[in-house]
Amino acid sequence: MTQNRLNLPRRRLLFGGAAVGAGALLAACTSNEKEPTSAQTKGPEAGGNANANAGRQVTIGFSAPAADHGWIAAITNNAKAQAGTFSDVTLKQVEAGADAAAQRAALDTLIAEKPDIIVMLPHDGKELNASGLKAMQAGIPVVNLDRAFPDALAYRLQIKGDNYGMGVAAGTYIGNQLKNKGVSTPVIGEIAGIDSLELTQERSAGFKAALATFGFTVANRRAAEFTADSGQREAANLLQALPKLDALWNHDDDQGIGVLAAINRANRTEFFMVGGAGSKKAIEDIQADNTVLKATVTYSPSMASSAISLARLIAQGRGLADLVELQVPKEIILASETITKDNAGDYLKLGF
Amino acid sequence: MSARSARSVPGRGAGGRGAAAVAPATEPVLRLQGVVKTFPGVRALDGVEVEVLPGEVHCLLGQNGAGKSTLIKVLAGVHRPDAGTITWRGAPASFADPQAAMRAGIATIYQELDLVEEMSVAENIFLGHEDRRLGFVRRAQMARRAREILARLGHPEIPPHRPVRLLPAAGKQVVSMGRALSHAARLIIMDEPSAVLAHDEVANLFRIIRELTAQGIAVIYISHRLEEIREIGDRVTVLKDGRTTAANLPARTTPTKDLVSRMTGRTIEYVFPRRTAREPGEELLRVEHLSRPGEFADVSLSVHSGEIVGIAGLVGSGRSELLETIFGARRAAGGTVRVNGRALRPGSVGAAVRAGLGMAPEERKSQALLLGEPIYRNVTLAAFGAYATGGLTNAARERAEAERVAGQLDLRPRDVRRPVGTLSGGNQQKVVVGRWLLGGTRLLLLDEPTRGVDVGARAELYELIRELTAREVGVLLVSSEVPEVLGLADRVLVMREGRVVHEAPADELDEGTVLDLVMAGSLMEEAAV
Amino acid sequence: MSATEAPASPVSPADERTTTGPGRRWGGLSETALRNLALVGVLVVLVIIGAVTRPDLYGDPVRVRDNVFTILEQASVIGVVTVGMTFVIIGGGIDLSVGAIVALAGVWCTTVATQSYGTFGMIFTALTVGLCVGLVNGGLISYGRLVPFIATLAMMVAARGLAASISGKQTQVSENRTINAIASTDVLGIPLLVVILAVVVAAGWVLLNRTTFGRRTVAVGGNREAARLAGINVTRHTMLLYALSGLCCGIAAIMLTSLSTSAQAGAANLYELDAIAAAIIGGTLLSGGRGSIIGSLLGVLVFSTITNLFAINNLATEVQNMVKGGIIVAAVLVQQVRFKSLTTIFART
Repeated sequence: MTQNRLNLPRRRLLFGGAAVGAGALLAACTSNEKEPTSAQTKGPEAGGNANANAGRQVTIGFSAPAADHGWIAAITNNAKAQAGTFSDVTLKQVEAGADAAAQRAALDTLIAEKPDIIVMLPHDGKELNASGLKAMQAGIPVVNLDRAFPDALAYRLQIKGDNYGMGVAAGTYIGNQLKNKGVSTPVIGEIAGIDSLELTQERSAGFKAALATFGFTVANRRAAEFTADSGQREAANLLQALPKLDALWNHDDDQGIGVLAAINRANRTEFFMVGGAGSKKAIEDIQADNTVLKATVTYSPSMASSAISLARLIAQGRGLADLVELQVPKEIILASETITKDNAGDYLKLGF
Repeated sequence: MSARSARSVPGRGAGGRGAAAVAPATEPVLRLQGVVKTFPGVRALDGVEVEVLPGEVHCLLGQNGAGKSTLIKVLAGVHRPDAGTITWRGAPASFADPQAAMRAGIATIYQELDLVEEMSVAENIFLGHEDRRLGFVRRAQMARRAREILARLGHPEIPPHRPVRLLPAAGKQVVSMGRALSHAARLIIMDEPSAVLAHDEVANLFRIIRELTAQGIAVIYISHRLEEIREIGDRVTVLKDGRTTAANLPARTTPTKDLVSRMTGRTIEYVFPRRTAREPGEELLRVEHLSRPGEFADVSLSVHSGEIVGIAGLVGSGRSELLETIFGARRAAGGTVRVNGRALRPGSVGAAVRAGLGMAPEERKSQALLLGEPIYRNVTLAAFGAYATGGLTNAARERAEAERVAGQLDLRPRDVRRPVGTLSGGNQQKVVVGRWLLGGTRLLLLDEPTRGVDVGARAELYELIRELTAREVGVLLVSSEVPEVLGLADRVLVMREGRVVHEAPADELDEGTVLDLVMAGSLMEEAAV
Repeated sequence: MSATEAPASPVSPADERTTTGPGRRWGGLSETALRNLALVGVLVVLVIIGAVTRPDLYGDPVRVRDNVFTILEQASVIGVVTVGMTFVIIGGGIDLSVGAIVALAGVWCTTVATQSYGTFGMIFTALTVGLCVGLVNGGLISYGRLVPFIATLAMMVAARGLAASISGKQTQVSENRTINAIASTDVLGIPLLVVILAVVVAAGWVLLNRTTFGRRTVAVGGNREAARLAGINVTRHTMLLYALSGLCCGIAAIMLTSLSTSAQAGAANLYELDAIAAAIIGGTLLSGGRGSIIGSLLGVLVFSTITNLFAINNLATEVQNMVKGGIIVAAVLVQQVRFKSLTTIFART
């Protein structure tokens, strides 16, 4: 009886101790030390051109959606890092929240604070068009990042990637490789991202068009969700559908981690794969050349760094040093580049 | 028909209420003749005669099971009578459904008010017949009419837009009556309206009833409280065993003992097993000064092994709450429960079960049974852990034990793998009692054990309960049916409004005395005078 | 609870409705067995459709085996989650946070710090995170008296948020070879993930049908008040059910991490809906008190097979989702109709 009575608290103590220990271990386990992404920025000292000279002190407002994906996370990180390289730039970042309405509210606050210029990646270009207009009318230039406003009055500068071009680049690379190998009727697979997004449709359209110039078609197309586990799921099933495959394009390198896992699981090596976006891991894999991943086509979040640089120049009223014009151009569309083993070393620093 | 012979002169007594005295010659607004309604196994109504005059408060009196509720449901269009005639405002009538009765001008206010808690007062009053134009509800119009109706009921202070859930019980009752008025009801049936009300609220209810009757609306008033009937009633009809035993007695002047005698002495005698003269054993349960505010106060009682203690009392007297508190399903605010001399941890059913207590709750289906599960699993619900080894259940042993109990209880059908929901009410109750026989329960708490059980099965249950005492089990029994308590129990406690008002050996009490105590009448005083 | 109405008449008609048929059994088979048989029938039909539309694939025994294993592997992660979900639903609750817990446990066990503790550290972390989140769910619901829908909805949002914050919104790659090898290992020719699923399903079946824990689950979900008045500690048991579901999510997180060699906050998207749907078409009553582990497994397999069927025929995913929705409705309708017809048969006899 007495023994029992003594035992109970001790048991509790033991259990409690174990719980605290587990908690401490778990807390330690959230630490995620990784080297910062300094590679995707380009500070003033690197250029050595006239634009590098410090100008008037400017405040740049910045707004991007809460990241649910590595690419958007990289956008925000790049913008912050790039701003940090300029002594004459103060970055004022506002949380954009989970949807367009929240971002609109955040932008209203930002506009009221009257920064010199605003850089924003809208949730949706159409839905935030009005916010762009509002800022412009308040005399604050707007740099639109990647998701275009329908109204040309709503932005001073638009810098974006080329989704259709990405598909074209992937299709062209695959077409050329297969032609060189002398494959006349290749079996080509495609793992797309979230199918309801316009960008996914544009990428697939570009891919299809480019393949058509070689007379090739896509044999099986699966849509994943930009996550590794969905990529794994769709790839595993696609590999069952196509027992022999010549080439595979996967739209997104994040989901590509899962796609590669499925390919390894199925022990399939008879084909080559092209990725999309240009993540650091994908570029490393391409350079190491020990997987089926032989190339990736870029849609680089480095555009955020460029957007900050250009915003600084616009706010300071300066143009691009290498251009004749006195002001920064109104629209810049980044070319989708194809990274292969040959040039992977150059691109590694741009991987995210 | 014997009922007719008991009929006395209709009309108001010399009560001295000035308002619109109704002459006996007035045509009745409602007349029921020879109404019969049977359910499988029972004749709930067996030739009921009722006559209600316009503008009168007509009281229905009868014990539980006398057929009052069935009668209400026939009038409200819920049940259709098997035989007999209903004459409504001079013409034969038959109500196919509650809406039909409502349209004809009969409104029923049930004890559990059927209001939509989240809707406003006005929306509840006009529920189902909203004032609308082109499909849009005319809210302002509705609010105005609701205000009129509330004013007619003497409650202009209730805001029509307020959600009903925010109103006190009395306010909800007013809304229910408002709904009746919105239908231009000529007859309002009130089923124990005072049961949910505090004392001063009852006075207000009576004021409303008087205003309604002054407008010529007839009221059928059902209550177990004699003093209320004396105060508000005009005439009384007494029911027993589904028959009218007395019609149109003057509510104020008929002596209590006449009323009680017509309610008691039921013709369908339940067969109670003979009491065996035995000395009760050691004390199993001792409850001292147990209280829960608003439910019961300062209750002390004891139960010995081999003894049946009965608690008589109306719904709302705190008897079910008392039982659940002893069992640990509710936590006592004060007082102690001791089993075999050791205090029970309050508010813990597990502790009570381990101490040897078992309970058959009032609502069998919602509180005691897993209807879709087999019989044996219901029987072993409190004991399957005891048959398990290392957490693994022993289905064979459970079935065997359940079959043994099923045999003892004469469960029909005997197949213990059937879902318990397919059994009749009586057999379901046997399953619940059987559950506690398995676990070596020493003290059984039975709450309305024969509710919803037909006559034949009742006798079996009585037999079973009595048999338990032979095995040294103590029983604490709660029932609304006075004969049941008197027929089964060795000792009887009478509860009224949360307190034990009387305690005596069962053979020293008779039905009339208990009924009178339960209904807070004055038979004892009259007898003493 | 209090002041309930006294009996209306000695007998209420519903009480007296006795059925004289042999209970809910038909041709010696229990209703659950019938239901499961019907699901097996659905699976057979799906396989036949596959064989007709892709004779090349189904004509080759090796490819058939590979395809079946692919279907089973894809079912394994969600299958483990569904076992936990089935317990929660039978116990009268719902767990909307399972997908989020899988993502959180996956992210937590693949941080750089956790990976430095090695294989055991990763497995321990995933299981502990799953269990703890489940306990928090259970605590909020049983002791905090929150409605399960609300509590687990809040957890769903919060756990995904925590996962995003831990991962810095990045996809975390698992560098642990042992973890990564789980998904690519075969045991006696059967993929290890499928073996894990089989073990979890078997354990779940025993737990539900052969232990006191299972009996309490059915009792608590079937009639909470009756269970309480029979002396069962309903509060504690409710808590344990959500802990069990969380633990299953922890196991699933390891499996998913291995399968995709990575983890991220957005992983296991909408697993809660897949798990609930699988349990429902498997015959688990959403109101609690009845359910079948085997049925849930079959439900998961049906969905996994449909995904595969659409993939091997290169049909668009949106059509696949419409078909899935249709199957859920059809399964529930068929169950209702069959139950009704059974009762009418007994009413006549």
